[in-house]
Parts: sequence; structure tokens; C-alpha cells
Amino acid sequence: MALNLMKNSIKMNTFSKLQVRSSSGSSEPQFRVLNLKVTKSKPAPRRQPKKFDTAPPRAHQMPTDQNWGNVWPGPRSFHPATVPLPVRQGYGEKQAPPSKYANAELMKIPNFLHLTPPVIKRQCDALRKFCTPWPKELSTDENCEKHFPLETTTSSYCYSSPSIRNSLARIVTLRIKLSHLPLDQHAKDKFRRLVGDRYDENTDYVTIVADRCPTSKQNFDYCMYLLTAVFHESWNVEPWESKKTLEDMEYYDWTKNQSCKSLESMFEVPFDKIEHGKEFSEAVSNLMNNGENLQTLKTYGDTVRKLLGLSKEI
Amino acid sequence: MAKLIRNNALFAKIIKEHAPPQCFIHTTTNLNKCQAGRYRISLRKDFPLTYEMANPPHQIAHRKAWNSWNTSNVDGGVRPAETAVEDLFIRKFITGTWHNLFVSEVIIKRQHNIIRIAGIVHQQANARQMYFLIGYCEELLSYWLQCLVKMELQTVQDKRDVVFKYI
Repeated sequence: MALNLMKNSIKMNTFSKLQVRSSSGSSEPQFRVLNLKVTKSKPAPRRQPKKFDTAPPRAHQMPTDQNWGNVWPGPRSFHPATVPLPVRQGYGEKQAPPSKYANAELMKIPNFLHLTPPVIKRQCDALRKFCTPWPKELSTDENCEKHFPLETTTSSYCYSSPSIRNSLARIVTLRIKLSHLPLDQHAKDKFRRLVGDRYDENTDYVTIVADRCPTSKQNFDYCMYLLTAVFHESWNVEPWESKKTLEDMEYYDWTKNQSCKSLESMFEVPFDKIEHGKEFSEAVSNLMNNGENLQTLKTYGDTVRKLLGLSKEI
Repeated sequence: MAKLIRNNALFAKIIKEHAPPQCFIHTTTNLNKCQAGRYRISLRKDFPLTYEMANPPHQIAHRKAWNSWNTSNVDGGVRPAETAVEDLFIRKFITGTWHNLFVSEVIIKRQHNIIRIAGIVHQQANARQMYFLIGYCEELLSYWLQCLVKMELQTVQDKRDVVFKYI
């Protein structure tokens, strides 16, 4: 088998030689030589990369007293040829941090080269003519609260997206101090019952949050509607409200209780005419509303002794 | 006979469905292999790595920054999926359009409705071609994404300029 192949190769070799000989004399295009013994040809020369003339970095020609705001007017990715600072970014274990040229890390991080202090100052000066001074009447927080008792809070969201809508921007929070509303004792009590846990006793603030409508305008309108409705409803006196008995009371009202009547029968004058009567009423209400503890019991004992004209120490 | 076979099949099915939960015990330790974004050392130690390639993914936010900057993936961010798909599309489009020219990763930064595409380009095309490609990419991407697209590129004369180390 191997012999047979050898013979074949010899035959083909002689054939190719014949071909070459026969074609060398004529002007016809030559056949390619069948190169059976693989001889190495010269490697093709490497294509040299084209060089394009580029201007030297602009940073080399910059004067030191130039207006930087004109060089870098707006937000932009870092460019080493424009920034004349020898900044470096990156980390190398056995080498210096990479320089600013061809440094992708510097292009990634947001820069504030367009917001240098002189530029901010210039922009503020330009905007100043559109500003009005803060009103003198609102110099303190108390004045602000007095003239503008209603507070509304909305949030605006800015983020990277083609849309400017954010569903969280619809939420409106409305806040007002209960003491700013013109309410009498009954109305105040009813108002507090209607708003429930939206009223904070420590700060005296009523907070209404609305998020059921799709836009903040609608939610604000809804908040205002709720406040108005609750306010007017708290002034309403329903006929069944007069049927409230002592057992229905949610808190201890001293003037309606037996303690007041006993005191008046004992002194035979109305309770507001009795010396230390007010202190006694406060102490009893405190004891009944806040429960028994050392403080309330001690105050109660002291006021009783004062009321009856006893000595402080027994 | 047929009834018996059917019954047997039913019995097997019941056994299969109500089989007690099996507990498999591994006697070997876990192989917590992590290969993504890491490169092998070559035989001749002449494989070029850029700074981005030289730092594995766990170095993000330590030694290197993210390649996509947006607010979609923060807590409560909107349209994260759309942003991710758009970023992928931008990367594919840029690498295809700037064929063999980008020598760094494509950095996509979003501010409001502006998309900034940054990167380092090899100076293999002349300035005219570069300007055409910048305008072409900005125009087409802004048409597709309905956003302002800005390309902020840096060019290097030699590809070796971006090489951080050879392994």
C-alpha cells in the first residue's frame, strides 16, 4: 500500500515538472506548481498600523490665567487632553496608579469640573437679579407658623430615565396644629375623635396623608377636602350627642362627677370660688386620667391637705 | 390481566407521589468556583489586560467602578429591566458600529434623559470617519431610545496604551 502511494507521488511529480517545462516557453499563464514537499515561504509582512496626525493635547498650551468655565462649560466625561491636572486613578499593587491618559476609570466617575467655585459664584450673581429678599415679617419660625399654619409636603424625584413621572411623587402630606383651628371644647373633642391617630398629642399636629389619586394636585385637593369636611363635621352637634351619660365618657371630667358635687356641698359655694379648688380638680383629673403612680398620688394628697387647711406633715 | 397492570401502574404512581422526602448527604466540600471576569495566566505571560480586565468583579466599587451608571437599580428605582436591556443594546450597537475600534469597555452614564456613552477608541480611523461614526451613533440611538445621546470619546494612538499588565 505504502509503495503504491510512493509510485503515485513520483508520477505526479514528473507530471508537474513536464507541465512547467511545456508552459515555460509560451506566453500563456503559468500553472501553479504543486508543492508536495512543503517548503516554507517567506511570512507575509505585517501590515503596519496607519498613523494619523493628531494635534498635541490642548492641556499643554493652556495659559495659567484662563477662564476655566469657558474651557469646561457643562457636565461632561473626563478628557485628559482638556484637563491640565496631573490626576491619577486606579490601583496597582507594584506600580503607581494609572495616569490620566487612556484611563477609563476617570471617564466613569462623575466629575464636577463644570462646577468650580468661581463658576458657581458667577452663576449665582447672574441669578441674583431674579431673586427677591425674604420678607421681614417672616423672620422667625414662630411668625412663619402664625401666618402660614398649613404645611404641605410633596416629593419630587429626579432620576435617569426618559420619563419624568414617578408614582411616589403623588403622595401629599398635610400638617396643621390643632390649636390653629378655631374649635370649642366639644368641636375639638369631636375633631380628635374623627381624625383618630392622625393627631399627635405631643406636638399638637394633625397629619393627613393622601396617596389614592394618581397626581399630587388631586391628592392635595383631596387632603384639603378632608380637612374641611372634618372641621365642619366637628362643629355639628347631632341630637344623639346630648344623650351621653357619665358612663359614656372617654375621660374623667371632674366638673360632671361626684367629686365636684361633694366639694361644693361641703363648702356650700361653687367650686371656682373655693380656695385651692382648681388645684384639687386638676389633681383629681390627673389621677383618674393618667392612673395611680407616685407622682399623681403625692400631688393629690398635697392638694387635699391644702384644701382642708391641714399641715403638710402628719 | 390488563386490569392488574393498570392497578400496578396506579400503585407505582401513588408510591412515587407519596414517597418520603429523601435526604442527600454530601461528603465532599463545596467547590465555590468563581471564574466569571477572571483571566488565566498565559504560558509566556504575554496576555495583555486592561485595567478593567485586571480587576475581577468583586473589585467593583473598590478598585474599579461600574460600566453602567444609572438610578434604575437603586432602592425604589424605576424601569430597571428596560434600562438593562437598553444598555445591552447600546453596547452591541457600539461594538458593531465601531468595529475593532473600541479598546475599552463601553461606559454608559445616564443623567435624567441624557445618555452619555464614553470609551477609549483606537486611532485607526481618520478624524472624518470618527466624526461620522459619532454623529451616526448619536442620531440613531437617540431615535431608538428617545433620549439625548452624547458620545464622549478619548482616542489612543496605540492599543498598548490601555494595557495595564501582561499575564
